Amino acid sequence: MKNSVRLEVIESAYVYGNNEIEDLNIKELVPKMMTRRRLTRAAKIAIYLSHKVLFSKGRIVYGSSFGELPATASILNAISAKESISPTHFQNSVYNTAISYLSILSKNEEELLTISSGDKTASNVLKVGAVKALDGDTLLLLVTETLNIDGIDKVNVCEQYLECAVALKVQLTQRAPTLKYSDMLKDSKVPTSMTAMMDIAKQCEDNKMNVIEVQL
Amino acid sequence: MNTKNRVYITATSSVTCAGENNQILFQNILSGKTGIEQDTAYFFNETPAIGKLEAKDTFFDALISQCQNVLENTQIENYKETLLVIGSSVGGMKTTEDVFIDTGDYANIDPDKHHIQVIANCLNEAFDFYEDVSFSTACTSSANAIGYAYEVLSKGLYTNVLVVGADSLSQTTVGGFLSLGVLSSNPCRPFDKNRDGMNVSEAIACLLIETELKEGSVEVCGVGYSSDAYHMTHPKPKGEGAYNAMQKALKEANLATDDIDYINAHGTGTEANDSAEADAIVSLFPDKPFVGSTKSITGHTLGAAGAIEAIICSMVLEKQMMPPNHFLQNQENKALNLTNESRDENIQYVMSNSFAFGGNNCSLIFGSIK
Repeated sequence: MKNSVRLEVIESAYVYGNNEIEDLNIKELVPKMMTRRRLTRAAKIAIYLSHKVLFSKGRIVYGSSFGELPATASILNAISAKESISPTHFQNSVYNTAISYLSILSKNEEELLTISSGDKTASNVLKVGAVKALDGDTLLLLVTETLNIDGIDKVNVCEQYLECAVALKVQLTQRAPTLKYSDMLKDSKVPTSMTAMMDIAKQCEDNKMNVIEVQL
Repeated sequence: MNTKNRVYITATSSVTCAGENNQILFQNILSGKTGIEQDTAYFFNETPAIGKLEAKDTFFDALISQCQNVLENTQIENYKETLLVIGSSVGGMKTTEDVFIDTGDYANIDPDKHHIQVIANCLNEAFDFYEDVSFSTACTSSANAIGYAYEVLSKGLYTNVLVVGADSLSQTTVGGFLSLGVLSSNPCRPFDKNRDGMNVSEAIACLLIETELKEGSVEVCGVGYSSDAYHMTHPKPKGEGAYNAMQKALKEANLATDDIDYINAHGTGTEANDSAEADAIVSLFPDKPFVGSTKSITGHTLGAAGAIEAIICSMVLEKQMMPPNHFLQNQENKALNLTNESRDENIQYVMSNSFAFGGNNCSLIFGSIK
């Protein structure tokens, strides 16, 4: 069962911010205001990163340990206050919200998967992406965490950056690996759920063949 | 997809509002004994009809029991070489709600008991799996989990996978669907002209999927995935996304439309889903296979629905019995081949559809071993 798959990282990008990531260029990327207003923070970040790695259509493996936390927190507060739940918050609370909006805006009708595996999220996005890449197509692997809600300091004692995300555009290769990464690198600044892919993205060099070996 | 191995469902176990095991569930599906009841526990001024599990165990104890049931009905000794694939839309949401409503403070919320991974963590503690991965694509979560199991097994990357579809009811899900105005106060009537919404419910379903054929196995023949790329909660009106998923599943299974004998539809009982799904089925299947939805009996178990309905499809193949559409009175799309009665038929291949928020679509095909 100890299989491995080699992936070429064709493009990579990452972003992070203490509370919010600034300069997502979202007005230019999503010109329609009504559409833009519906987007969650994770959706905006997903749109920004997919643009950065030049990915418009194709299969996407997306991951988030905590999903759409701002929408979830709004729902919790409504329930606690015995108020009605906002339908927009509810529809935006599912874990696959970010890439669903991305697919709607890019008219991408391909397979979209969402993984939520706690601290192993990025590691599992890489594994599932590697399994899918065996089919021969180019995939977008994407992880976001958007933890910036009122009162987050009461539960968050580790992460410095409350918004972080990383994207890798990958395809299968037979070439020897050029990069090594750690499955769950502990980093006090970003959630462990994304460190595996962040580690890779930080090592990728422009104009060089960047290859990783994913152990399944 | 480059496939090589054949893939089989070799053991299953489930608990739903319509039965504490597979046999009771299937009997109730055939006879029309629904597990759906009106409930005021979540919102006192509303009376949605929902499907609750009997409160014999905690949800997490029931989860362990279901996986233990599967283990006791297989030839594998333990799960140490097994990949665990979870499908869940809410994970530990109910735990978080309980703490937050009780204290009104985030301080007592344990993040590790909130997210989707709480299910895999609970099962790893009980059984020690080789590896685990959790999918959360709303109502397609466990259908996608079965699809992934099919892929890793057919590609020869693993020899057995345990798929667990699990979702518990919470105020978020009941209140959320109420806010969308799609909950019925009666057991739902999928594909009926006068349908008035869905029934949200909870369930746990476990399927051991292997590359080795065992007695009583059902084959997983193919999977098809697609995205609507249209709207967060509404399917494309003519069901183009559903059509694409079903067509891809047929291609993957190397089957023609007239090979499919029965389609277990997503069939939620909502206005938008049923009309779009009906149009997609009618467009793709000129030979009119029998179509049914079992959600009037089980309710819509959200992230667990794909796994529950895969078990129902396995039992359709095992018993060679087609379940009826209960509570159907006035069929909306007359071109759809629905039936009100259980039918004893020669059934070789069945399809199971699951569709979700965000336009996420997954169709699975199962086959009888003859």
